[in-house]
Amino acid sequence: MDATIITNIFGEFSAMAPMIIMIIGALLMPALYFTTKKRGVVGGALVAFILVSLAVNVILLLGGYVGTYAGLFQYDAFSGLMILLFQIVAFLVALVCTSSIEVTRLHYGAFASLLLGATTGMMFVATATDLVVIFVGVELTSISSYVLVAMKRNDPRAAEAAVKYVIIGGMSTALTIYGLSMLYGVTGTTNLAEIAVSLSTAGFSWAFGIAMITMIAGYGFKIAAVPFHMWAPDVYEGAPTPVSIFLATGSKKMGLVVFFKIFLIMFVAGASVASFATVEMQYLFAIIAAITMTVGNVVAISQTNIKRMLAYSSIAQAGYILIVMAVMSEYALTGGIFHMFTHVFMKGGAFLIVGALICAGIGEKITDYRGLAKRAPFLAFAMLLFLFSLAGIPPLAGFTSKFVLFSAAIYGGDGATSQWVWLAFIAILNSAISLYYYARVVKAMYIEKGTATDKIKVPKAFLAAIVICVAAVIVLGVFPQIILGPASEAAAALFSLV
Amino acid sequence: MIPIEFFLAFAAILFAIGAYGVITKTNTIIVLMCIELMLNAANINFIAFSGFLGDAMGQVFVIMTISVAAAEVAVGIAILLNAYKIKKTTETDSLTCMRW
Repeated sequence: MDATIITNIFGEFSAMAPMIIMIIGALLMPALYFTTKKRGVVGGALVAFILVSLAVNVILLLGGYVGTYAGLFQYDAFSGLMILLFQIVAFLVALVCTSSIEVTRLHYGAFASLLLGATTGMMFVATATDLVVIFVGVELTSISSYVLVAMKRNDPRAAEAAVKYVIIGGMSTALTIYGLSMLYGVTGTTNLAEIAVSLSTAGFSWAFGIAMITMIAGYGFKIAAVPFHMWAPDVYEGAPTPVSIFLATGSKKMGLVVFFKIFLIMFVAGASVASFATVEMQYLFAIIAAITMTVGNVVAISQTNIKRMLAYSSIAQAGYILIVMAVMSEYALTGGIFHMFTHVFMKGGAFLIVGALICAGIGEKITDYRGLAKRAPFLAFAMLLFLFSLAGIPPLAGFTSKFVLFSAAIYGGDGATSQWVWLAFIAILNSAISLYYYARVVKAMYIEKGTATDKIKVPKAFLAAIVICVAAVIVLGVFPQIILGPASEAAAALFSLV
Repeated sequence: MIPIEFFLAFAAILFAIGAYGVITKTNTIIVLMCIELMLNAANINFIAFSGFLGDAMGQVFVIMTISVAAAEVAVGIAILLNAYKIKKTTETDSLTCMRW
Protein backbone atom coordinates (compact mmCIF):
# COMPACT_ATOMS: atom_id res chain seq x y z
CA MET A 1 0.00 0.00 0.00
CA ASP A 2 1.15 3.53 -0.69
CA ALA A 3 1.44 6.09 2.09
CA THR A 4 1.10 9.05 -0.34
CA ILE A 5 -2.71 8.93 0.02
CA ILE A 6 -2.26 10.10 3.61
CA THR A 7 0.75 12.37 3.12
CA ASN A 8 -1.12 14.28 0.37
CA ILE A 9 -3.93 15.11 2.81
CA PHE A 10 -1.93 15.83 5.97
CA GLY A 11 1.23 17.31 4.44
CA GLU A 12 3.91 18.02 7.03
CA PHE A 13 1.61 16.80 9.83
CA SER A 14 1.54 13.22 8.46
CA ALA A 15 3.61 11.96 11.39
CA MET A 16 0.68 12.98 13.64
CA ALA A 17 -2.18 11.99 11.31
CA PRO A 18 -3.67 9.18 13.48
CA MET A 19 -3.59 11.44 16.57
CA ILE A 20 -5.17 14.40 14.77
CA ILE A 21 -8.20 12.27 13.90
CA MET A 22 -8.52 11.08 17.51
CA ILE A 23 -8.30 14.65 18.88
CA ILE A 24 -11.03 15.85 16.50
CA GLY A 25 -13.16 12.95 17.73
CA ALA A 26 -12.45 13.77 21.37
CA LEU A 27 -13.58 17.38 20.86
CA LEU A 28 -16.72 16.38 18.91
CA MET A 29 -18.04 13.69 21.27
CA PRO A 30 -19.56 15.92 24.03
CA ALA A 31 -21.18 18.16 21.39
CA LEU A 32 -22.62 15.12 19.64
CA TYR A 33 -24.04 13.83 22.93
CA PHE A 34 -25.63 17.18 23.81
CA THR A 35 -27.30 17.55 20.39
CA THR A 36 -28.57 13.99 19.96
CA LYS A 37 -28.85 12.70 23.57
CA LYS A 38 -28.57 9.17 22.13
CA ARG A 39 -25.92 6.77 23.41
CA GLY A 40 -26.11 4.69 20.23
CA VAL A 41 -25.13 7.65 18.03
CA VAL A 42 -22.17 8.58 20.25
CA GLY A 43 -21.08 4.93 20.50
CA GLY A 44 -21.23 4.54 16.72
CA ALA A 45 -19.28 7.74 16.15
CA LEU A 46 -16.71 6.69 18.74
CA VAL A 47 -16.07 3.36 16.99
CA ALA A 48 -16.05 5.12 13.60
CA PHE A 49 -13.38 7.65 14.67
CA ILE A 50 -11.16 4.88 16.06
CA LEU A 51 -11.57 2.81 12.88
CA VAL A 52 -10.70 5.78 10.61
CA SER A 53 -7.63 6.51 12.72
CA LEU A 54 -6.73 2.80 12.61
CA ALA A 55 -7.05 2.73 8.82
CA VAL A 56 -4.82 5.82 8.45
CA ASN A 57 -2.23 4.25 10.73
CA VAL A 58 -2.28 0.90 8.89
CA ILE A 59 -1.81 2.65 5.52
CA LEU A 60 1.16 4.62 6.90
CA LEU A 61 2.63 1.51 8.53
CA LEU A 62 2.30 -0.73 5.45
CA GLY A 63 3.59 2.09 3.22
CA GLY A 64 6.76 2.14 5.31
CA TYR A 65 6.28 5.86 6.04
CA VAL A 66 8.97 7.59 8.12
CA GLY A 67 8.42 11.24 9.02
CA THR A 68 9.36 13.71 11.72
CA TYR A 69 7.72 16.87 12.99
CA ALA A 70 9.56 19.78 14.69
CA GLY A 71 12.15 17.40 16.21
CA LEU A 72 9.51 16.32 18.74
CA PHE A 73 7.72 13.48 16.91
CA GLN A 74 8.91 10.70 14.68
CA TYR A 75 6.63 8.23 12.96
CA ASP A 76 8.51 5.02 12.11
CA ALA A 77 7.97 1.25 12.23
CA PHE A 78 8.13 1.22 16.05
CA SER A 79 5.69 4.09 16.62
CA GLY A 80 3.34 2.75 13.96
CA LEU A 81 3.16 -0.69 15.55
CA MET A 82 2.67 0.73 19.07
CA ILE A 83 -0.04 3.11 17.83
CA LEU A 84 -1.75 0.09 16.26
CA LEU A 85 -1.67 -1.66 19.65
CA PHE A 86 -3.26 1.31 21.45
CA GLN A 87 -5.91 1.65 18.73
CA ILE A 88 -6.82 -2.04 19.07
CA VAL A 89 -7.26 -1.52 22.83
CA ALA A 90 -9.41 1.58 22.28
CA PHE A 91 -11.47 -0.26 19.67
CA LEU A 92 -12.23 -3.19 21.99
CA VAL A 93 -13.26 -0.81 24.81
CA ALA A 94 -15.33 1.43 22.50
CA LEU A 95 -17.11 -1.61 21.07
CA VAL A 96 -18.37 -2.85 24.44
CA CYS A 97 -18.82 0.33 26.47
CA THR A 98 -22.26 1.15 25.00
CA SER A 99 -23.70 -2.21 26.06
CA SER A 100 -22.03 -2.55 29.46
CA ILE A 101 -24.40 -1.89 32.35
CA GLU A 102 -21.47 -0.45 34.31
CA VAL A 103 -21.22 2.49 31.90
CA THR A 104 -24.92 3.18 31.28
CA ARG A 105 -25.53 5.63 34.08
CA LEU A 106 -22.52 7.74 33.18
CA HIS A 107 -22.35 10.91 31.21
CA TYR A 108 -21.65 9.10 27.98
CA GLY A 109 -20.26 12.01 25.93
CA ALA A 110 -17.60 12.62 28.57
CA PHE A 111 -16.73 8.92 28.65
CA ALA A 112 -16.22 8.80 24.87
CA SER A 113 -14.22 12.03 24.86
CA LEU A 114 -11.94 10.90 27.69
CA LEU A 115 -11.39 7.49 26.08
CA LEU A 116 -10.23 9.13 22.84
CA GLY A 117 -8.11 11.65 24.78
CA ALA A 118 -6.39 8.95 26.82
CA THR A 119 -5.65 6.94 23.67
CA THR A 120 -4.22 10.05 21.99
CA GLY A 121 -1.82 10.52 24.90
CA MET A 122 -0.57 6.95 24.48
CA MET A 123 -0.10 7.49 20.75
CA PHE A 124 1.90 10.68 21.37
CA VAL A 125 4.18 8.73 23.72
CA ALA A 126 4.70 6.12 20.99
CA THR A 127 5.87 8.74 18.48
CA ALA A 128 7.84 10.97 20.89
CA THR A 129 11.53 11.68 20.41
CA ASP A 130 11.64 14.31 23.14
CA LEU A 131 11.16 14.16 26.91
CA VAL A 132 8.58 16.98 26.84
CA VAL A 133 6.29 15.00 24.53
CA ILE A 134 6.70 11.84 26.62
CA PHE A 135 5.84 13.75 29.81
CA VAL A 136 2.77 15.49 28.38
CA GLY A 137 1.54 12.32 26.63
CA VAL A 138 1.79 10.26 29.83
CA GLU A 139 -0.06 12.96 31.78
CA LEU A 140 -2.80 13.26 29.14
CA THR A 141 -3.43 9.54 29.51
CA SER A 142 -3.14 9.51 33.31
CA ILE A 143 -5.45 12.47 33.99
CA SER A 144 -8.05 11.12 31.55
CA SER A 145 -7.93 7.72 33.20
CA TYR A 146 -8.37 9.20 36.72
CA VAL A 147 -11.75 10.50 35.56
CA LEU A 148 -12.61 7.28 33.72
CA VAL A 149 -12.03 5.29 36.93
CA ALA A 150 -14.21 7.70 38.95
CA MET A 151 -17.12 7.55 36.50
CA LYS A 152 -19.32 5.19 38.57
CA ARG A 153 -20.16 8.12 40.80
CA ASN A 154 -22.31 6.54 43.50
CA ASP A 155 -20.24 3.40 43.95
CA PRO A 156 -18.02 3.61 47.07
CA ARG A 157 -15.50 1.17 45.59
CA ALA A 158 -15.08 3.29 42.43
CA ALA A 159 -14.71 6.48 44.49
CA GLU A 160 -12.07 4.86 46.68
CA ALA A 161 -10.20 3.45 43.66
CA ALA A 162 -10.17 6.88 42.03
CA VAL A 163 -8.78 8.59 45.17
CA LYS A 164 -6.02 6.02 45.43
CA TYR A 165 -5.26 6.29 41.72
CA VAL A 166 -5.11 10.10 41.68
CA ILE A 167 -2.81 10.30 44.73
CA ILE A 168 -0.45 7.55 43.60
CA GLY A 169 -0.54 8.94 40.05
CA GLY A 170 0.27 12.45 41.24
CA MET A 171 3.12 11.16 43.37
CA SER A 172 4.56 9.25 40.40
CA THR A 173 4.26 12.37 38.21
CA ALA A 174 6.20 14.39 40.79
CA LEU A 175 8.94 11.75 41.02
CA THR A 176 9.18 11.52 37.23
CA ILE A 177 9.38 15.25 36.60
CA TYR A 178 12.07 15.63 39.28
CA GLY A 179 14.08 12.89 37.57
CA LEU A 180 13.57 14.47 34.16
CA SER A 181 14.79 17.83 35.49
CA MET A 182 17.96 16.18 36.84
CA LEU A 183 18.51 14.38 33.54
CA TYR A 184 18.09 17.70 31.70
CA GLY A 185 20.69 19.24 34.00
CA VAL A 186 23.19 16.42 33.43
CA THR A 187 22.83 16.23 29.64
CA GLY A 188 21.72 19.79 28.78
CA THR A 189 19.05 18.63 26.32
CA THR A 190 15.60 17.04 26.24
CA ASN A 191 16.03 15.23 22.91
CA LEU A 192 16.35 11.45 23.39
CA ALA A 193 19.04 10.92 20.72
CA GLU A 194 21.13 13.86 21.98
CA ILE A 195 20.80 12.54 25.56
CA ALA A 196 22.20 9.18 24.41
CA VAL A 197 25.14 10.87 22.68
CA SER A 198 25.79 13.12 25.68
CA LEU A 199 25.73 10.20 28.13
CA SER A 200 28.17 8.11 26.06
CA THR A 201 30.97 10.49 27.09
CA ALA A 202 29.74 11.42 30.57
CA GLY A 203 30.93 9.91 33.85
CA PHE A 204 28.90 9.05 36.92
CA SER A 205 27.47 11.97 38.89
CA TRP A 206 25.08 12.06 41.85
CA ALA A 207 22.58 14.04 39.80
CA PHE A 208 22.51 11.24 37.22
CA GLY A 209 21.97 8.62 39.95
CA ILE A 210 19.06 10.59 41.45
CA ALA A 211 17.59 11.06 37.97
CA MET A 212 17.67 7.31 37.28
CA ILE A 213 16.17 6.33 40.66
CA THR A 214 13.30 8.83 40.55
CA MET A 215 12.51 8.09 36.90
CA ILE A 216 12.43 4.33 37.42
CA ALA A 217 10.23 4.81 40.49
CA GLY A 218 7.91 7.27 38.73
CA TYR A 219 7.42 5.25 35.56
CA GLY A 220 7.50 2.03 37.62
CA PHE A 221 4.23 3.24 39.20
CA LYS A 222 2.71 3.53 35.72
CA ILE A 223 3.52 -0.08 34.77
CA ALA A 224 2.81 -1.29 38.34
CA ALA A 225 6.26 -2.84 38.81
CA VAL A 226 6.89 -4.17 42.33
CA PRO A 227 7.40 -2.37 44.78
CA PHE A 228 5.26 0.34 43.13
CA HIS A 229 2.28 -1.93 42.38
CA MET A 230 -0.11 -1.56 45.34
CA TRP A 231 -2.54 0.76 43.53
CA ALA A 232 -3.15 -1.53 40.53
CA PRO A 233 -5.38 -4.26 42.03
CA ASP A 234 -7.55 -1.70 43.87
CA VAL A 235 -8.01 0.46 40.79
CA TYR A 236 -8.71 -2.45 38.41
CA GLU A 237 -11.25 -3.87 40.88
CA GLY A 238 -13.05 -0.59 41.57
CA ALA A 239 -13.18 0.76 38.01
CA PRO A 240 -15.96 -0.16 35.55
CA THR A 241 -14.78 -3.30 33.69
CA PRO A 242 -14.32 -1.59 30.26
CA VAL A 243 -12.03 0.92 32.01
CA SER A 244 -10.17 -1.95 33.70
CA ILE A 245 -9.53 -3.40 30.22
CA PHE A 246 -8.24 -0.03 29.08
CA LEU A 247 -5.89 0.36 32.06
CA ALA A 248 -4.59 -3.22 32.16
CA THR A 249 -3.91 -3.53 28.44
CA GLY A 250 -3.41 0.08 27.26
CA SER A 251 -2.13 2.27 30.07
CA LYS A 252 0.37 -0.34 31.24
CA LYS A 253 1.73 -0.79 27.70
CA MET A 254 2.23 2.97 27.51
CA GLY A 255 4.46 2.80 30.59
CA LEU A 256 6.45 0.00 28.97
CA VAL A 257 6.82 2.03 25.76
CA VAL A 258 8.22 4.88 27.90
CA PHE A 259 10.71 2.44 29.43
CA PHE A 260 11.74 1.25 25.95
CA LYS A 261 11.97 4.78 24.56
CA ILE A 262 13.90 6.43 27.38
CA PHE A 263 16.09 3.69 28.80
CA LEU A 264 16.82 1.57 25.71
CA ILE A 265 17.74 4.65 23.68
CA MET A 266 19.73 6.11 26.57
CA PHE A 267 21.76 3.01 27.29
CA VAL A 268 22.19 0.87 24.19
CA ALA A 269 20.83 2.43 21.00
CA GLY A 270 23.44 2.35 18.27
CA ALA A 271 26.49 0.09 18.52
CA SER A 272 28.86 3.03 19.04
CA VAL A 273 26.75 4.69 21.72
CA ALA A 274 26.64 2.90 25.07
CA SER A 275 26.40 4.66 28.39
CA PHE A 276 28.81 4.12 31.27
CA ALA A 277 26.07 2.73 33.53
CA THR A 278 24.57 0.15 31.16
CA VAL A 279 25.64 -2.98 33.06
CA GLU A 280 24.47 -1.65 36.45
CA MET A 281 21.10 -0.67 34.97
CA GLN A 282 20.71 -4.11 33.38
CA TYR A 283 21.13 -5.78 36.78
CA LEU A 284 18.73 -3.30 38.43
CA PHE A 285 16.05 -4.01 35.81
CA ALA A 286 16.67 -7.77 36.05
CA ILE A 287 16.04 -7.66 39.81
CA ILE A 288 12.88 -5.53 39.36
CA ALA A 289 11.64 -7.95 36.67
CA ALA A 290 12.24 -11.03 38.82
CA ILE A 291 10.57 -9.52 41.91
CA THR A 292 7.64 -8.16 39.89
CA MET A 293 6.73 -11.48 38.27
CA THR A 294 7.18 -13.46 41.49
CA VAL A 295 5.12 -11.13 43.71
CA GLY A 296 2.40 -10.81 41.05
CA ASN A 297 2.00 -14.55 40.66
CA VAL A 298 2.31 -15.51 44.34
CA VAL A 299 -0.21 -12.92 45.58
CA ALA A 300 -2.64 -13.83 42.76
CA ILE A 301 -2.94 -17.33 44.25
CA SER A 302 -4.79 -16.07 47.34
CA GLN A 303 -7.31 -13.85 45.47
CA THR A 304 -11.03 -14.66 45.47
CA ASN A 305 -12.20 -11.76 43.28
CA ILE A 306 -11.54 -12.53 39.62
CA LYS A 307 -10.85 -8.90 38.60
CA ARG A 308 -8.29 -8.66 41.39
CA MET A 309 -6.71 -11.96 40.36
CA LEU A 310 -6.43 -10.73 36.76
CA ALA A 311 -4.88 -7.48 38.05
CA TYR A 312 -2.16 -9.38 39.90
CA SER A 313 -1.61 -11.54 36.83
CA SER A 314 -1.20 -8.27 34.87
CA ILE A 315 1.54 -7.24 37.28
CA ALA A 316 3.27 -10.56 36.64
CA GLN A 317 2.95 -10.13 32.86
CA ALA A 318 4.58 -6.68 33.10
CA GLY A 319 7.40 -8.45 34.96
CA TYR A 320 7.88 -10.83 32.02
CA ILE A 321 8.05 -7.90 29.58
CA LEU A 322 10.61 -6.16 31.83
CA ILE A 323 13.03 -8.97 30.82
CA VAL A 324 13.55 -6.81 27.72
CA MET A 325 15.00 -4.08 29.91
CA ALA A 326 17.47 -6.51 31.50
CA VAL A 327 18.65 -8.15 28.28
CA MET A 328 18.56 -4.90 26.23
CA SER A 329 18.93 -6.61 22.84
CA GLU A 330 16.99 -6.16 19.63
CA TYR A 331 15.76 -9.75 19.70
CA ALA A 332 14.46 -9.30 23.25
CA LEU A 333 12.60 -6.14 22.21
CA THR A 334 11.00 -8.12 19.36
CA GLY A 335 9.79 -10.65 21.91
CA GLY A 336 8.61 -7.86 24.22
CA ILE A 337 6.54 -6.21 21.49
CA PHE A 338 5.09 -9.60 20.52
CA HIS A 339 4.13 -10.32 24.14
CA MET A 340 2.53 -6.87 24.47
CA PHE A 341 0.27 -7.69 21.51
CA THR A 342 -0.72 -11.14 22.76
CA HIS A 343 -1.26 -9.73 26.26
CA VAL A 344 -3.79 -7.23 24.88
CA PHE A 345 -5.87 -10.05 23.41
CA MET A 346 -5.65 -12.59 26.23
CA LYS A 347 -5.94 -10.22 29.22
CA GLY A 348 -8.40 -8.00 27.33
CA GLY A 349 -10.45 -11.07 26.43
CA ALA A 350 -10.51 -12.36 30.02
CA PHE A 351 -11.64 -8.95 31.33
CA LEU A 352 -14.25 -8.76 28.52
CA ILE A 353 -15.78 -12.03 29.70
CA VAL A 354 -15.88 -10.74 33.29
CA GLY A 355 -17.60 -7.56 32.02
CA ALA A 356 -20.08 -9.56 29.91
CA LEU A 357 -20.99 -11.77 32.87
CA ILE A 358 -21.48 -8.71 35.13
CA CYS A 359 -24.03 -7.52 32.53
CA ALA A 360 -25.77 -10.91 32.87
CA GLY A 361 -25.95 -10.49 36.66
CA ILE A 362 -23.08 -12.80 37.64
CA GLY A 363 -20.74 -11.55 40.37
CA GLU A 364 -16.98 -11.02 40.38
CA LYS A 365 -16.13 -13.84 42.80
CA ILE A 366 -14.48 -16.98 41.44
CA THR A 367 -17.14 -19.03 43.25
CA ASP A 368 -19.81 -17.24 41.15
CA TYR A 369 -18.32 -18.95 38.08
CA ARG A 370 -19.30 -22.45 39.27
CA GLY A 371 -21.08 -24.48 36.59
CA LEU A 372 -20.52 -21.80 33.94
CA ALA A 373 -19.66 -24.41 31.29
CA LYS A 374 -23.28 -25.64 31.35
CA ARG A 375 -24.86 -22.19 31.40
CA ALA A 376 -22.66 -20.44 28.79
CA PRO A 377 -20.53 -22.98 26.89
CA PHE A 378 -18.92 -20.49 24.51
CA LEU A 379 -17.96 -17.96 27.20
CA ALA A 380 -16.54 -20.70 29.43
CA PHE A 381 -14.50 -22.11 26.53
CA ALA A 382 -13.21 -18.64 25.56
CA MET A 383 -12.24 -17.97 29.18
CA LEU A 384 -10.38 -21.30 29.22
CA LEU A 385 -8.48 -20.30 26.07
CA PHE A 386 -7.51 -16.87 27.48
CA LEU A 387 -6.41 -18.25 30.85
CA PHE A 388 -4.37 -21.08 29.29
CA SER A 389 -2.84 -18.57 26.89
CA LEU A 390 -1.87 -16.35 29.86
CA ALA A 391 -0.28 -19.38 31.52
CA GLY A 392 1.58 -20.17 28.29
CA ILE A 393 0.08 -23.45 27.04
CA PRO A 394 0.81 -24.28 23.37
CA PRO A 395 -0.47 -23.73 20.67
CA LEU A 396 -1.99 -20.48 22.00
CA ALA A 397 -0.49 -17.02 21.46
CA GLY A 398 0.75 -16.69 25.04
CA PHE A 399 3.06 -19.68 24.60
CA THR A 400 4.62 -18.41 21.38
CA SER A 401 5.28 -14.89 22.65
CA LYS A 402 6.67 -16.15 25.97
CA PHE A 403 8.88 -18.55 24.01
CA VAL A 404 10.39 -15.69 21.99
CA LEU A 405 10.74 -13.47 25.07
CA PHE A 406 12.37 -16.09 27.32
CA SER A 407 14.62 -17.43 24.56
CA ALA A 408 15.98 -13.88 24.18
CA ALA A 409 17.13 -14.11 27.80
CA ILE A 410 18.79 -17.51 27.22
CA TYR A 411 20.37 -16.91 23.81
CA GLY A 412 23.63 -15.00 24.14
CA GLY A 413 24.68 -14.93 20.47
CA ASP A 414 26.91 -17.42 18.55
CA GLY A 415 25.44 -20.44 20.30
CA ALA A 416 26.55 -19.31 23.75
CA THR A 417 24.12 -18.95 26.67
CA SER A 418 23.70 -15.45 28.01
CA GLN A 419 24.21 -14.25 31.57
CA TRP A 420 20.44 -13.85 31.98
CA VAL A 421 19.64 -17.59 32.01
CA TRP A 422 18.69 -17.31 35.69
CA LEU A 423 16.09 -14.68 34.80
CA ALA A 424 14.56 -16.96 32.16
CA PHE A 425 14.57 -19.77 34.75
CA ILE A 426 12.64 -17.61 37.27
CA ALA A 427 10.19 -16.59 34.52
CA ILE A 428 9.50 -20.21 33.54
CA LEU A 429 9.07 -21.18 37.19
CA ASN A 430 6.59 -18.31 37.53
CA SER A 431 4.60 -19.54 34.53
CA ALA A 432 4.19 -22.84 36.34
CA ILE A 433 2.94 -21.05 39.48
CA SER A 434 0.49 -19.01 37.42
CA LEU A 435 -1.07 -22.14 35.95
CA TYR A 436 -2.29 -23.02 39.46
CA TYR A 437 -4.56 -20.01 39.93
CA TYR A 438 -5.73 -19.95 36.31
CA ALA A 439 -6.66 -23.61 36.60
CA ARG A 440 -8.72 -22.82 39.72
CA VAL A 441 -11.07 -20.69 37.60
CA VAL A 442 -11.24 -23.42 34.96
CA LYS A 443 -12.05 -25.96 37.68
CA ALA A 444 -14.88 -23.73 38.98
CA MET A 445 -16.30 -23.37 35.46
CA TYR A 446 -16.04 -26.98 34.28
CA ILE A 447 -15.95 -29.34 37.27
CA GLU A 448 -17.76 -27.71 40.19
CA LYS A 449 -21.56 -27.64 40.14
CA GLY A 450 -23.43 -24.34 40.38
CA THR A 451 -26.83 -23.69 41.92
CA ALA A 452 -28.41 -21.97 38.88
CA THR A 453 -28.81 -23.85 35.60
CA ASP A 454 -30.53 -21.32 33.29
CA LYS A 455 -28.73 -20.19 30.11
CA ILE A 456 -26.85 -16.88 30.23
CA LYS A 457 -27.53 -14.16 27.65
CA VAL A 458 -24.86 -11.48 27.15
CA PRO A 459 -24.90 -8.35 24.91
CA LYS A 460 -23.95 -8.94 21.26
CA ALA A 461 -21.18 -6.28 21.28
CA PHE A 462 -19.39 -8.20 24.04
CA LEU A 463 -19.68 -11.43 22.03
CA ALA A 464 -18.20 -9.72 18.96
CA ALA A 465 -15.24 -8.36 20.96
CA ILE A 466 -14.66 -11.76 22.60
CA VAL A 467 -14.73 -13.51 19.20
CA ILE A 468 -12.08 -11.07 17.92
CA CYS A 469 -9.88 -11.85 20.93
CA VAL A 470 -10.35 -15.64 20.59
CA ALA A 471 -9.45 -15.47 16.89
CA ALA A 472 -6.37 -13.34 17.63
CA VAL A 473 -5.17 -15.64 20.44
CA ILE A 474 -5.39 -18.71 18.19
CA VAL A 475 -4.07 -17.09 14.97
CA LEU A 476 -1.10 -15.38 16.66
CA GLY A 477 -0.25 -18.68 18.36
CA VAL A 478 -0.30 -20.75 15.17
CA PHE A 479 1.09 -18.12 12.75
CA PRO A 480 3.40 -15.96 14.90
CA GLN A 481 5.21 -14.63 11.79
CA ILE A 482 2.24 -12.25 11.20
CA ILE A 483 3.40 -10.12 14.11
CA LEU A 484 7.04 -11.25 14.46
CA GLY A 485 8.05 -9.67 11.13
CA PRO A 486 6.67 -6.18 11.93
CA ALA A 487 7.89 -6.50 15.54
CA SER A 488 11.50 -7.13 14.51
CA GLU A 489 11.30 -4.20 12.07
CA ALA A 490 9.95 -2.05 14.91
CA ALA A 491 12.76 -3.14 17.24
CA ALA A 492 15.33 -2.30 14.58
CA ALA A 493 13.69 1.11 14.07
CA LEU A 494 13.89 1.94 17.80
CA PHE A 495 17.53 0.90 18.00
CA SER A 496 18.45 3.03 14.98
CA LEU A 497 16.86 6.19 16.41
CA VAL A 498 20.23 7.61 17.50
CA MET B 1 25.63 35.20 40.26
CA ILE B 2 24.26 32.68 42.74
CA PRO B 3 25.94 29.25 42.29
CA ILE B 4 23.64 26.52 40.89
CA GLU B 5 24.16 24.33 43.98
CA PHE B 6 22.02 26.74 46.01
CA PHE B 7 19.06 26.30 43.66
CA LEU B 8 19.48 22.52 43.59
CA ALA B 9 19.72 22.27 47.37
CA PHE B 10 16.61 24.45 47.78
CA ALA B 11 14.70 22.30 45.28
CA ALA B 12 15.89 19.09 46.97
CA ILE B 13 14.71 20.35 50.39
CA LEU B 14 11.33 21.35 48.91
CA PHE B 15 11.02 17.92 47.26
CA ALA B 16 11.90 16.16 50.51
CA ILE B 17 9.30 18.18 52.48
CA GLY B 18 6.68 17.28 49.86
CA ALA B 19 7.61 13.58 49.90
CA TYR B 20 7.53 13.55 53.72
CA GLY B 21 4.05 15.08 53.67
CA VAL B 22 2.73 12.58 51.10
CA ILE B 23 3.95 9.68 53.23
CA THR B 24 2.88 10.90 56.71
CA LYS B 25 -0.28 13.03 56.25
CA THR B 26 -3.66 11.33 56.57
CA ASN B 27 -5.78 14.10 55.02
CA THR B 28 -6.06 13.53 51.26
CA ILE B 29 -6.28 17.28 50.49
CA ILE B 30 -2.99 17.95 52.29
CA VAL B 31 -1.47 15.01 50.41
CA LEU B 32 -2.48 16.68 47.13
CA MET B 33 -0.87 19.94 48.31
CA CYS B 34 2.34 18.08 49.14
CA ILE B 35 2.37 16.62 45.63
CA GLU B 36 2.22 20.22 44.32
CA LEU B 37 5.29 21.04 46.43
CA MET B 38 7.18 18.15 44.81
CA LEU B 39 6.17 19.33 41.32
CA ASN B 40 7.34 22.86 42.09
CA ALA B 41 10.69 21.55 43.32
CA ALA B 42 11.19 20.06 39.85
CA ASN B 43 10.17 23.39 38.29
CA ILE B 44 12.87 25.23 40.26
CA ASN B 45 15.40 22.64 39.06
CA PHE B 46 14.36 23.17 35.46
CA ILE B 47 14.59 26.95 35.65
CA ALA B 48 17.97 26.83 37.42
CA PHE B 49 19.40 24.45 34.80
CA SER B 50 17.83 26.46 31.99
CA GLY B 51 19.54 29.65 33.17
CA PHE B 52 22.77 27.85 33.94
CA LEU B 53 22.97 26.11 30.53
CA GLY B 54 21.57 29.06 28.55
CA ASP B 55 18.99 26.73 26.97
CA ALA B 56 15.30 27.68 26.65
CA MET B 57 13.93 24.10 26.59
CA GLY B 58 13.89 23.94 30.39
CA GLN B 59 11.49 26.88 30.58
CA VAL B 60 9.23 25.24 27.98
CA PHE B 61 9.17 22.20 30.24
CA VAL B 62 8.16 24.37 33.23
CA ILE B 63 5.17 25.81 31.35
CA MET B 64 4.09 22.24 30.48
CA THR B 65 4.50 21.12 34.10
CA ILE B 66 2.46 24.04 35.47
CA SER B 67 -0.45 23.34 33.11
CA VAL B 68 -0.31 19.61 33.82
CA ALA B 69 -0.25 20.28 37.58
CA ALA B 70 -3.30 22.55 37.27
CA ALA B 71 -5.23 19.88 35.36
CA GLU B 72 -4.18 17.24 37.87
CA VAL B 73 -5.35 19.30 40.86
CA ALA B 74 -8.67 20.12 39.16
CA VAL B 75 -9.35 16.43 38.55
CA GLY B 76 -7.94 15.43 41.93
CA ILE B 77 -10.15 17.83 43.90
CA ALA B 78 -13.23 16.71 41.95
CA ILE B 79 -12.46 13.07 42.75
CA LEU B 80 -11.85 13.85 46.45
CA LEU B 81 -15.13 15.78 46.57
CA ASN B 82 -16.97 12.80 45.08
CA ALA B 83 -15.38 10.47 47.63
CA TYR B 84 -16.28 12.94 50.42
CA LYS B 85 -19.96 12.87 49.36
CA ILE B 86 -20.00 9.08 49.77
CA LYS B 87 -17.77 8.60 52.83
CA LYS B 88 -18.30 11.98 54.62
CA THR B 89 -14.55 12.23 55.39
CA THR B 90 -11.30 13.04 53.58
CA GLU B 91 -9.04 10.91 55.80
CA THR B 92 -6.92 8.24 54.08
CA ASP B 93 -7.85 5.83 56.89
CA SER B 94 -11.40 5.67 55.48
CA LEU B 95 -10.21 4.06 52.23
CA THR B 96 -10.59 0.49 53.41
CA CYS B 97 -13.13 -1.11 51.00
CA MET B 98 -10.36 -2.91 49.16
CA ARG B 99 -7.14 -4.26 50.59
CA TRP B 100 -4.71 -6.95 49.41
